[in-house]
Amino acid sequence: MVRLARAILSGVLGASLSLAPAWAETGVTDHEIVIGAFGVLTGPTYDYGKVVFDGAETIYNEVNAAGGVNGRKIRYVREDDQCKADAAVPAVRKLIYEDKVFMINGGACSNAALAAMPEIVRADIPWVITDATAPQLTDPATPNIVTTFQVGWMETAAQLQRALELGGKKIAIVRQHDAWAASRYQPLLDAMAKRGIKAVADEEVAPDVADTTAVALRLQAAGADSVLLLLFPQAATVLMRDMYKIGYKPLVIGGSPLGEVSEMQHAIGIPGATDRFEGLAPTKSLDDPAVQKYRPLLNKYFPNAELTPWHLLGIASAQFVVAALKQVGPDVTRAKLATVLSTMSLSPDVYAGPIKCTPTDHQCYRTVAWYGMVDGKMKQVGVTTLP
Amino acid sequence: MVALGLVVVYRSTGHINFAHGELLMIGSFLAYSFITQFHIAYVAALVLAVVLSLLLGAATDRFVYRRLARSHDTTLVLATVGLSFLLKGVSRFLWGGRGEYLTIPPIIDPAPIFVFGIPVLAQQLVILAAAIVIMLGCLVFFRATLAGKTMQAVAENPLAAYLAGIRVEQVRTWTWGAGAAIAGAAGVLIAPLSLLTPDMGFSLLIKAFAATVLGGLGSVPGAIVGGFSVGLIESLAGGYISSSLQDVSAFIIIMIVLTVRPSGLFGAYRLRRA
Repeated sequence: MVRLARAILSGVLGASLSLAPAWAETGVTDHEIVIGAFGVLTGPTYDYGKVVFDGAETIYNEVNAAGGVNGRKIRYVREDDQCKADAAVPAVRKLIYEDKVFMINGGACSNAALAAMPEIVRADIPWVITDATAPQLTDPATPNIVTTFQVGWMETAAQLQRALELGGKKIAIVRQHDAWAASRYQPLLDAMAKRGIKAVADEEVAPDVADTTAVALRLQAAGADSVLLLLFPQAATVLMRDMYKIGYKPLVIGGSPLGEVSEMQHAIGIPGATDRFEGLAPTKSLDDPAVQKYRPLLNKYFPNAELTPWHLLGIASAQFVVAALKQVGPDVTRAKLATVLSTMSLSPDVYAGPIKCTPTDHQCYRTVAWYGMVDGKMKQVGVTTLP
Repeated sequence: MVALGLVVVYRSTGHINFAHGELLMIGSFLAYSFITQFHIAYVAALVLAVVLSLLLGAATDRFVYRRLARSHDTTLVLATVGLSFLLKGVSRFLWGGRGEYLTIPPIIDPAPIFVFGIPVLAQQLVILAAAIVIMLGCLVFFRATLAGKTMQAVAENPLAAYLAGIRVEQVRTWTWGAGAAIAGAAGVLIAPLSLLTPDMGFSLLIKAFAATVLGGLGSVPGAIVGGFSVGLIESLAGGYISSSLQDVSAFIIIMIVLTVRPSGLFGAYRLRRA
């Protein structure tokens, strides 16, 4: 009798387990998937967080309007980490334990993302990084974590490769003295050392410098034929202007903050001043038709926003997440998503190349596009894909 | 020129205005709006921005600083720091969301020209000329006009000025306004050569402070000489020693002057005269 009761009970339990809903996973119901984002939403650096997440939310809203992913709508929950490590941990804890998100699609500032990482790893939650660039987040590859943006070392490696491709022999570096440039400076020196190259000049300026004539003269005196810039637009614009002023026109290769070459040309205002300048961008140009279509979509949900490259990072990342969720199918679990992410490949229409993850490489985006001024218009002049 | 605005306020109120850089920034953004959004000519934009800056400066005194006049000096200084953050926030609210920086097109042919064999941008010369005119105007204002002398009187001895029938509070209000107007003018002048960001004011304030300390706190000629000297020292240090030194030159100047000659280049003369 007892044996029969046990058999019936185990049968009922087994049946109930086999009939358990596919959404028996935190952050997933039969009609909703909750995705969290943490990043800087307020303050001077809000571009890295809020603006990127606006781009992501535009995609999620459009997916929802089209019926969702396998019938489930996506709810995108944001937490502000103010770009600070000490604010990132409580922000992520709130997402995980109060908002009970299924996964995270965010992470903007590297220091904050690094601080939040142990918490996310402990909770075993899939995390698709939008734009935090610290390589330690994805190297060595952690099963649940992938990034859809370039990591720190890639940019400078691409800059060096481009200078060499274009015939650079005497290479100089101009960097601004802040943490952003410092994080790229050593990887650049390492990349140069690997190729047996020593910079003929290594100059440092303030990010908001107003006059760089002295630096331009030093570069000229060193005989540099190529200059790699680790600068934001303010300093780069002033330097380009001052180099042109003294009649010194080396090949100049800028990083991602200088991708909008037409804006720099506009700021300098001297025709021809950027003729030998190329700026790097992970994304297509804002004028590209593939990108243009996102202007009205963005304004549909964020009426006062003006499309920027930062939005594109969020758009690409969210497209990647949506494609991965679709691939997982209706029976959504974190384990399945992590498996899919590890082999996922997608070519977002706003990026210059594909996002391609492998089980051993979770730094999934390695393509940069080069932009320059051609006949007075900004055009893509090349592409570099890093190994 | 930024240093000049600092000195004007300091002479009359005895306070360093730590929001001075942000007042300059507001001047630049106003010029941006007038020129690129309302398509107003550069000179008209300059005048409008100066007038609005003057009113803004006067309003900050009327509604904030005057109420703190009887508080400890530190309170007022902190109020200027607070105002600087407020102005940055306001500028982000009004002009944010259009990329990381804004630009103003060149006011004249931007191609470089050669002066005694030295390449300079014609724009820089125009701006230099405008700055010299404004600075000379300030010198004349303080030395030859009743309003200027009234401001000096309030600065030297507010009680005596009050007993002489000067409306001290009103004079101080317009002094804060004059300082802001000079900052606004500097902002408009620098705008075509710079990129506009809400954070652009701080480093200019530091350099202006170095120029003011070097020239002697409260000295108008000192501010002018100090400003040129700081620029020259920065360029020479950056060119002949190391580019890393260019940006820290201002801080080094402040430290050396405060240690060796706290009264600055022109401060001693003024002290003797007093």
